[in-house]
Amino acid sequence: MALTQLSTRMQTGTRNSAPASDETRIRIRDVTLSYGNLQIIGGISLDVAAGETVCIIGPSGCGKTTLLRMLAGLAKPTSGSVELDGSMIAGPNRSVAIVFQDYGKALLPWRTAAGNVSLALEARGFPSAERPAIIRDLLEKIGLGRHADKYPAEMSGGMQQRLQIARCLAQEPKVLLMDEPFGALDAMTRQVLQDEVLGLVASTGATMVFVTHDLEEAIYLGDRIVCLQPNPGRVGRIVDVSLSRPRDQLLTREDPEFLRLRRELYDLIKDDHQ
Amino acid sequence: MRHLSLRKLLLGIGGLVLFILVWKLVTDAKLVSPIFFPGPERTYAALVKGLSGGALLQQTLQTIQRMLLGWLLASFVGILLGALVGISKRARAFIAPMLELLRPLPASAMIPVAIAFLGFSDHMVLVVIAFGALWPMLLATIHGFAAMEPRLYEVSQVLGLSRLEVIWKLALPSAMPMILASLRLGLTISLILAVVGEMLASREGLGQSILAASRSFRSPDLFAGIVILGAIGLVGSRLLSIAERRLLRWQATSR
Ligand SMILES: Nc1ncnc2c1ncn2[C@@H]1O[C@H](COP(=O)(O)OP(=O)(O)O)[C@@H](O)[C@H]1O
Ligand SMILES: [Mg+2]
Repeated sequence: MALTQLSTRMQTGTRNSAPASDETRIRIRDVTLSYGNLQIIGGISLDVAAGETVCIIGPSGCGKTTLLRMLAGLAKPTSGSVELDGSMIAGPNRSVAIVFQDYGKALLPWRTAAGNVSLALEARGFPSAERPAIIRDLLEKIGLGRHADKYPAEMSGGMQQRLQIARCLAQEPKVLLMDEPFGALDAMTRQVLQDEVLGLVASTGATMVFVTHDLEEAIYLGDRIVCLQPNPGRVGRIVDVSLSRPRDQLLTREDPEFLRLRRELYDLIKDDHQ
Repeated sequence: MRHLSLRKLLLGIGGLVLFILVWKLVTDAKLVSPIFFPGPERTYAALVKGLSGGALLQQTLQTIQRMLLGWLLASFVGILLGALVGISKRARAFIAPMLELLRPLPASAMIPVAIAFLGFSDHMVLVVIAFGALWPMLLATIHGFAAMEPRLYEVSQVLGLSRLEVIWKLALPSAMPMILASLRLGLTISLILAVVGEMLASREGLGQSILAASRSFRSPDLFAGIVILGAIGLVGSRLLSIAERRLLRWQATSR
């Protein structure tokens, strides 16, 4: 019962290919951010449609994390505006979930997998009688069904990152922010998790902003790819990805369009790294 | 693993036996006058006599009660105040320097002050114990709260946890390893101050009993009292380590 309850509430549109809606979920307008005299973000404008997956790539230090933190309400722009569904993002908000890269620090080491997911439900005021069923369904969904009683220290990096995603899903967010979530994982785990995340995003209709330094990951996941340029961080190019969905680790990556995009992005990024 | 802890236990018992043997050799050789330094047998006899018929059992219970009451009071106040100060950066900046200034004060320096206010009473001893044992817990809680992973604070903001939930569900558990270590230290301090307080204010307990035995040259009774104090310290610290291991189970695997 809990799962159906959860998924119907999360269901804002199922999609197979392009974004399901033209509605703008996130609107970023002329955003700058400075720490003291140092400008980190130098005027970024970007719209993200509801249900869309936007990947952000760029050399390290160009402000990807900072941009994501502004979307999460954890950092305030120095000027410009960031809006969610037409209203300003004034601070952290349950409807915007974020998966941090350093899963080891983002999880509660003294709580089991189930306990970590529970935290999100407790914050939402779910009565304790309803929590176990929802937690079980979420852990099942993300492939941690048999590890509910494990502590983070007993879990591999891939499992810990899964757990962080499960906790985010328990928020039932409209927007899922991901900051290089799979950067520390091995190639195989990474691919499995990419597919799981795509599946979750498709079934919940969530909007995703996914930061990565891996070009192929960006192409594989995204509807659009935003290339940031450094000093200060700003949008260099936006590339549309017209690959069909659902995507497939072998077929999609062999698609001539995939290869063409990889070449195009590689040339773009190479210039920034010089 | 099991094997290892068995070996540790045997080693510990071996050390204790060796200690008693050396003790016996030293007293049998009369290196020190037996009037001041009884052997293990005489100490054991005094111990059995005192615990079975004499007042020793009553005194032991008195001292344990004093120690526990003072310790509980100190723990409660220390953790509560520590949480209040530790949760706010501003309160920490305001209060921490003052605490660092007060902390090196020996608890025994507080005894005259306590006597001035409360006289030679059980309350006075209790206040001295609680005051002395308060510091480690207060400081450990403040430091534990301050050391909370900042990322977890961000998680709490994104999830929308209330301030009380942040204290209860994030800050307190992450300070728990430090708090538990300070609870152990606090118990030792409580025992020491219970004994000192009993000696100074002549309240019933092991402290007074040890002092009386030494004044009337009943050295076996004196040593029996010391042995019991050692045992109280040992058992208390053992019980707390067991609790610690249970409460910090989540850490065990990461080490
Ligand atoms: N709190 C901060 N204070 C000062 N500088 C910061 C702070 N956070 C990030 N920066 C700087 O902002 C720049 C962008 O950082 P970040 O957004 O983490 O980049 P990216 O995620 O693209 O690697 C870096 O040069 C970094 O040193
Ligand atoms: Mg980053």
